[in-house]
Amino acid sequence: MPLVYSNMQMSEVVEEHLSLIPVINRFGIRLGLGDKSVQEICVEYELDCDFLLTVINTFLNEEYFPEKKLQTFHMSQIIDYLIKINESYLRYQIPNIERHLGSFIAQSSGPTNSTLCLIGKFFQSFKEELMNRILKDEKEWFPYCLSLSERLGMNQVQGDSNPDLLLDLGNQVEDTIEALLADLKSIMIKHLSGNYNENLCYAVIFAISSLEKDIKQHNRIRFRILTPMVAAMEKLCS
Amino acid sequence: MQSIKHIAILLPDTLQCLGLQSLLVNYFPPVEISYFYTFEALVNSHCDIFDYFFTNATLFVLNVDFFLPRRSKTIVLTADSIEVRKNTSINYVYVQASQEVIIEQLKQYFSGDNTILSNDSNKELSVREVEVLQLIVKGGTNKEIADKLCISLNTVLTHRKNITAKLGIKTVSGLTFYAIMNGLVSGEDIEL
Repeated sequence: MPLVYSNMQMSEVVEEHLSLIPVINRFGIRLGLGDKSVQEICVEYELDCDFLLTVINTFLNEEYFPEKKLQTFHMSQIIDYLIKINESYLRYQIPNIERHLGSFIAQSSGPTNSTLCLIGKFFQSFKEELMNRILKDEKEWFPYCLSLSERLGMNQVQGDSNPDLLLDLGNQVEDTIEALLADLKSIMIKHLSGNYNENLCYAVIFAISSLEKDIKQHNRIRFRILTPMVAAMEKLCS
Repeated sequence: MQSIKHIAILLPDTLQCLGLQSLLVNYFPPVEISYFYTFEALVNSHCDIFDYFFTNATLFVLNVDFFLPRRSKTIVLTADSIEVRKNTSINYVYVQASQEVIIEQLKQYFSGDNTILSNDSNKELSVREVEVLQLIVKGGTNKEIADKLCISLNTVLTHRKNITAKLGIKTVSGLTFYAIMNGLVSGEDIEL
């Protein structure tokens, strides 16, 4: 997929890739984009254009992941973005799935469709995992990352790409949260039975799959950028 | 999941090569394509790894000793529509046909492949795997499962890997769902 550049018209980019709407929303950019270029939008909203473009491009292209470039951004910038992602999960994406799932279960199940109740429980266990992680982010992980960078009096550091660390990260990328969503989706596609509302079912699967994509992108930043940055800072501190 | 088709193209015409490549890549993925402009280059390669060969009528005839024994894997491009009709033992593609027709033909030639594939992969769990699955769902650790079934820890891990591969489900929650749905455990005594 061709990359997005600063001189492109933002509205055209978004029209081409609707999945970017929640991404730009997280930066505070709202629709009604007019004919402004990406650069002009960034000036208007006082955003680091380079950072926005890198986020957009990594979001759109699964193969595009400029680790070195991402690590040159400020720790606070990256954390800020991750916090915004978490917020949008809590405020929009999770409630959105719940809303659809709720009416899917209510409208589909006769008294006997136990499959759907199981799917409901399954989603609850996913939600619990995600909430736990977000809570841990807010209480421990993000403050720790920020305190490290403050202590060092610098905001950026080149992460270490020593092979042991990378191997470790490779394992972490196999994330339970990601796996739960993937399972939930494939279970619905493979094992649904009995009466159910087709339209709501599609809405649920669609919502799950866009959250899954989102979480995958998020995890790449978390495990391949933030974690190596923190490891490098820890080394400097010790 | 389909396995990669290894395809050798032996054609002197670059544009024909590129056109064929774009059809194969777009409509019949996953494919890995190797090009050969001369027959010598083809035989000097590891030509046994290829699942299919594409060539033209002239090269087919010139190298009939090579292609005839491989004719079920060989697809011959020809501009001669009469030849296509009279000879049914060779897989022809008539190059002046419409894209739709050519894709249909290629689909037929490739289809033999898919049936073998789906027979090959057995998705049913074995009796032992079902036992392991039941214990996983009940919350057993690998060690507990190993002790209970009197097998080694490694064997448990292998079973788990196979179960995940067969069902395409990675998480314990997902496996629990599968087990309840298929009556392998009863819903009441499980916390999802």
